[in-house]
Amino acid sequence: MSLLKKVFLVDLFQGLWVTFRNQHPKHLVTEQYPAERPMVAERYRGAPRLNINPENGETLCIACNLCALACPETLIVVTSERNEQTKRKELTTFTYDTSRCMFCGLCEDACPVDALELTQDFELASYTREGQIWDRQMLEEGPRPTPYKC
Amino acid sequence: MTPDATFLDSTELVLNMGPQHPSTHGVLRVILKLDGEKVLGTDCVLGYLHRGVEKIAENRTWAQFNPYVDRMDYVAAISNGLGYCLAVEKLLNLEVPGRAQAVRVILTELNRIGSHLLWLGTHALDIGAITPVFYCFREREATLNIFEKYCGARLTTHAFRVGGLQYETYEGFEKEVNEFCDMFLPKVDEYEELLTGNRIWIGRLKDVGILTGEECKEYGVTGPVLRAAGVKWDLRKAQPYSGYEKYEFDIPTCQNGDTYDRYMVRMQEMRQSVRIIRQAVASIPEGPIMGKAPKVIKPPVGEAYVSIEAPKGELGYYVVSDGSTQPYRVRVRPPSFINLQALDRMIAGGLVADVVAIIGTLDIVLGEVDR
Amino acid sequence: MAATPWDSELARELKERFGDRIIETSTYLGQNFIVTKPDAAIPVLEYLKLEADFDYLVDVTAVDWPKRPERFDLVYIVYSFARNERVRIKTYLPEGFKPESSVGVHLTANWLEREVYDMFGIQFAGHPDLRRILMPDEWQGHPLRKDYSILRQDQTWVRENLEIESGQ
Repeated sequence: MSLLKKVFLVDLFQGLWVTFRNQHPKHLVTEQYPAERPMVAERYRGAPRLNINPENGETLCIACNLCALACPETLIVVTSERNEQTKRKELTTFTYDTSRCMFCGLCEDACPVDALELTQDFELASYTREGQIWDRQMLEEGPRPTPYKC
Repeated sequence: MTPDATFLDSTELVLNMGPQHPSTHGVLRVILKLDGEKVLGTDCVLGYLHRGVEKIAENRTWAQFNPYVDRMDYVAAISNGLGYCLAVEKLLNLEVPGRAQAVRVILTELNRIGSHLLWLGTHALDIGAITPVFYCFREREATLNIFEKYCGARLTTHAFRVGGLQYETYEGFEKEVNEFCDMFLPKVDEYEELLTGNRIWIGRLKDVGILTGEECKEYGVTGPVLRAAGVKWDLRKAQPYSGYEKYEFDIPTCQNGDTYDRYMVRMQEMRQSVRIIRQAVASIPEGPIMGKAPKVIKPPVGEAYVSIEAPKGELGYYVVSDGSTQPYRVRVRPPSFINLQALDRMIAGGLVADVVAIIGTLDIVLGEVDR
Repeated sequence: MAATPWDSELARELKERFGDRIIETSTYLGQNFIVTKPDAAIPVLEYLKLEADFDYLVDVTAVDWPKRPERFDLVYIVYSFARNERVRIKTYLPEGFKPESSVGVHLTANWLEREVYDMFGIQFAGHPDLRRILMPDEWQGHPLRKDYSILRQDQTWVRENLEIESGQ
């Protein structure tokens, strides 16, 4: 570095000029969460949901247990009952422990009928450990976070 | 009164740094032996983040273990996933389709940029420059958005599967990646404007923590640290995997092997990554994204060692199969763990303030050190 | 596909030099490995480093086979920058056998052997600083042994030091 450049602090002003340029309002990138809701991607792997048929309100789940077998943390428990009239397995309970879930998506990949899905909901906090264990009703309805008021 | 010789002698001071110290990048604990400001020796205490990843592997199926590897080097989760998938594919003797390979390269290189950006931001913060961390995170966000759109997760991505890919690229993937490249190169120049010529930056980094090429080999140090010492070695060139032989890029090297050189090497590497991404995006072949992987992965009895050039150095997986659906043993060769071993040699004779600079320049992630 | 004999200059040289102390030189999936008797591993590593340019010790690890009389595989992976070649050196160790430390040949081995000791309980003779590295010093048992299951972990240590019941 030449002496003149050193004396006139050229290197420092060069850096300061970068910081100054970046002060322009068009460079603002901060998201004002929770006042401003972030748009997550379509494929986002968030809260699990057990899909129901919109026409008759029946569950799409065929109780095949593949998701429970695919899960690395074995946090899904599916129970079913055999319907004597139709000779088919029918879902009775479905429990999903979100506190141990790492949202890897393996259960979703395993599901043959697209009944289990990881959705775009990402606010999963609850006040108790038990609140993290979702039953069938919770999975079908989805989480209901308290809306933020300014 | 004659000056007492023992009075002038200083006693050795033992100082504990970490595990809750912001500049140890996680939960590293270093016990420093000091003579005044000078560091006489160090002793690293590890294991605060030990989760037994290798034991977990033995209790999962081959496919189920895949998401866990993301949680080692969580800054470069995609690299970890690539290494593991390549290792299992080697055991299965499986060919991955060209399209999957190209997408894998694009995502891993984006991840390398993200990892280097996080390193740059935190390293500069350690040294005392606050601004770069904001800029680096701003650009890293762009890479994370691409990951999120591609596979649905930002950090622990679980992007690849054994045999290829689970997800097809989304609409506008190529365009978005190209836009990122165009946007990113001027930003690297901007970081360099902030730091490269800055007298404080140079003063704190030049001739600090020198590690020569010979010492690097002795300690098994790889990655940018090795290249900064003048050894032109990169696994992507030496033993290409996932189609890296198709792309043209240089291996940036420096000569002195000090902290400043390691900074320069990583800055150049980000530019080279952009070069690779551009070529890969321009030539993504059409075709299937999944190879002939069996539904239930059951590799034949045997073992393989496969390693890749992760952002931190050589990341290796030594996998042993006993012919069942579960791994018999998965050994991870973590670059951070082995690079950290050289800390003692790099610090010897330095000052306390340099400890932070040297830990920063090694670019360790404690999730990977402790596994 | 089974391992096939590894036919190369280096394999012949090694066999000539070490004779029956080298049990096997093979290739599997394009990766070369040598199986040596336990006392020959360090001389082989030294020979490879000094005479054949294998100057970078990539990894030291072990595999537990509890049903075998020689219970552990001890695996060294070395790489040569000049040849761009990787070789694995394997030895079979019975339980309680104390292999010689390789720190004298490669400094990298220091932490790697500490980790093997920590995880498998293999004690290296002549290691400068053989302590646990990832687990706490007072921990009982060696986690990566096959007979060490998650339910048999050191409950006492957890209770005394973390004041929780294990499994929480």
